[in-house]
Amino acid sequence: MTSSAMTGTYLSEGAGPRAWLLTTDHKRVAWLYLVSLTAFFFLGGAMAVLMRIELATPAGDLVSDDVYNRLFSLHGIIMVWFFLVPSIPATLGNFLLPLMIGARDLAFPRLNLASWYVFIFGSLFALFSVVAGGVDTGWTFYTPLSTLYANGFVSTAAFGVFIVGFSTIMTGINFIVTVHTLRAPGLTWFRLPIFVWTLYATSLVMVLATPVLAASLILIVLERVFGIGIFNPDLGGDPLLFQHLFWFYSHPAVYIMILPGMGVVSEVLPCFSRRPLFGYKAVAMSSMAIAVFGFLVWGHHMFVSGQSAYAGVVFSFLSFCVAIPSAIKVFNWSLTLRKGEISFETPMLYGLFFLGLFTFGGLAGLFLAALAVDVHVHDTYFVIAHFHYIMVGGMVTAYMAGLHFWWPKLTGRMYSETAGRIAATVTFVGFNLTFFPQYVLGFDGMPRRYHTYPPEFQFWNVLSSAGAVVLAIGYLMPLFYLGWSLFRGARATDSPWNATGLEWQTSSPPPPHNFKSMPIVTRPAYAYDMKGLEHERFSPHLEAGR
Amino acid sequence: MSRTESVAFDNPRRERRADTFAMWVFIGSEAMLFGAIFLVFLVAHLDFGPAFAAASKHLSVALGAFNTAVLITSSFTMAVAHMFALHRRWRATVWALLATSALGVCFLVVKSMEYGKEIAEGMAPLLGLPFRYEGPDPVHAEFFFSLYFTMTSLHALHLIGGIAVIGGMIALWRTASPANRLHRVEAVGLYWHFVDVVWMFMFPVLYLINR
Amino acid sequence: MSELRKLTFGYVGLLALLALTVGSSFLDLGGFNVTINLAIAAGKAILIAMLFMHLTGTLPRLAVAAAGLWLVILFGLTLIGS
Repeated sequence: MTSSAMTGTYLSEGAGPRAWLLTTDHKRVAWLYLVSLTAFFFLGGAMAVLMRIELATPAGDLVSDDVYNRLFSLHGIIMVWFFLVPSIPATLGNFLLPLMIGARDLAFPRLNLASWYVFIFGSLFALFSVVAGGVDTGWTFYTPLSTLYANGFVSTAAFGVFIVGFSTIMTGINFIVTVHTLRAPGLTWFRLPIFVWTLYATSLVMVLATPVLAASLILIVLERVFGIGIFNPDLGGDPLLFQHLFWFYSHPAVYIMILPGMGVVSEVLPCFSRRPLFGYKAVAMSSMAIAVFGFLVWGHHMFVSGQSAYAGVVFSFLSFCVAIPSAIKVFNWSLTLRKGEISFETPMLYGLFFLGLFTFGGLAGLFLAALAVDVHVHDTYFVIAHFHYIMVGGMVTAYMAGLHFWWPKLTGRMYSETAGRIAATVTFVGFNLTFFPQYVLGFDGMPRRYHTYPPEFQFWNVLSSAGAVVLAIGYLMPLFYLGWSLFRGARATDSPWNATGLEWQTSSPPPPHNFKSMPIVTRPAYAYDMKGLEHERFSPHLEAGR
Repeated sequence: MSRTESVAFDNPRRERRADTFAMWVFIGSEAMLFGAIFLVFLVAHLDFGPAFAAASKHLSVALGAFNTAVLITSSFTMAVAHMFALHRRWRATVWALLATSALGVCFLVVKSMEYGKEIAEGMAPLLGLPFRYEGPDPVHAEFFFSLYFTMTSLHALHLIGGIAVIGGMIALWRTASPANRLHRVEAVGLYWHFVDVVWMFMFPVLYLINR
Repeated sequence: MSELRKLTFGYVGLLALLALTVGSSFLDLGGFNVTINLAIAAGKAILIAMLFMHLTGTLPRLAVAAAGLWLVILFGLTLIGS
């Protein structure tokens, strides 16, 4: 059945700002997040473009060193906390989690809306520091720079990030409780889509790591405002301890960012190769393994910061170990493609680009986990290239894959497939042109966080800056064709990709409480090798109701 | 009309189970916050044990122990409130809740008396106040007091939050259904007991260790 | 009411442990003072969790176990270098 009529959907239930700003429907809250995160993405991206333009020439001619410091600090703060951490969970996760497990909403709908308000309040609080004068500590707020020497509005920025942390914890609690208590009858843990597994693992990290970040940020604010010397060596404090607490959060935070992306790709690859996900249980369990092992490796950010050699060796070994569950996933995704009937729709293109870029970034991570190599490339562009391959090449690419994959479900409309494929390809080319040269620059010894550099680095820097322009075009394109689709796109069917999963069994866009009657699950996830699954997964009762 | 607060649930028993679980996850999250602060204290204590022990002697064990007893009592009255709520004896529940928050206020009053004494004696290294400490290693004694004020005020903020929530709950008491009342008493109770547990660790760590 | 008796037992037990921990701190037991104080604090936490917070059921215990494990990681790996 196709639902061509747009009445009786969650989108038609009341318009106007009041109906949206006071909604507790998880699908509408997802849209609130989507709109605000898109704004932050382009704000943070604009700062990156400015930095790349500055770096096109060796001289510091476009912006002063002080302005450059503020640019990269705000780029980092905005991208990490106001885009990457909430990105997939708060938008696609919020929209899809209840649909995927056959629930009417998240366990705590009001808490969900509250989390968005807390997010907005906290992020505006942090943005105030931009208007008021800027922060120049980098996104890491390292002490004693941030506490004793920094000239900007470190306290307000740190406090804003602290507030946004509450929003993250609220989302995490909501997801964990929802997955435990609201699965549809028959939907056992090992029938859950991998996207749900990764959201669960992500929520675990959010709930257990964010409070430690909160503690370290509170201590910075106390140190600056009340003059307490917790991290001040003059008063007996220990600046290294700040790095421990900060990375106890911030290393797992990169798994907060990448895990949901892995979940999206685990949905997209089986669908467009018409094959069940290879090694389902291994992929599910490796998500949980990443959530736990991710907490054991934070010391690899501190190899040159004065921690003991013994600690360095332990953290180096553990960092090699954390590559194992990620590698398990990559091999399983690749084997899913084997002998599949692969088609190259936009989400699949993004998904395949993710596979390549994530692997490339992940392998560079092994270089950095090796103690001796890390001493050479520490704080160089090699590190920048490594984490941008994971965060942008991996995470943002997966976010685009997911956005295109579920766009028909979100809006009930299709977008231009041609435009989508062009944008995906432009992004891929632009991304590699931007960040591959940075590996070379880093290996040649160009340090990060400087607005000038010796002329011999110019060749690769020009390539990188040119790539940034291409990449920006690749990211701006969807804004236009998806925006057009929102109002003019062709009506989508309930399951335009003919995918498995409960979210495709309800109408596009879904009704206010998601399902007309309670779905009953009788099949494993990704049953692409079984015939006629679309209707068997539903109770006969529902069929009669239709 | 609906028997559940959230549209996601179709029966109140499942919803109550989810509420309790959510509170425990939240408590786990809070435990990480306090855990990080305790870790900062532990690292400092490992570095400057003797200075910390000497500084710790300047705190009033009598007031600290009295306050611990007050918090234990408040936890008891909170548990009693929950017991009454399970039996739907609402009037008794409200009285037990009022007693709990009164004990919480009592804790805060004693705590601020302690703060006042410490500030008067020049042992509060805050906001540029003069730090006058006669004893060995004043620099690290100052560090001890920095941590003391940080930890106890973070705990006190949590207690103030708890008192505010109990107040709000009592203000909305008449409009709440019996099921809602029970949910709320249960949730606030878990939070209150957790804040109590934090103090059970903070008291010996700050006041008693290596006297 | 046996429930009230249970709560009262917990209350009296907590006060007794408080007396014990304060009393022990006036004796010089060398390094054992710290151990005793922390063991008593853990004992009080367990009493409160079991009797006042009714820590039963798989899900709440899962939450507590996870937080415990993560605290061990936080403390263990931070102190590994010192």
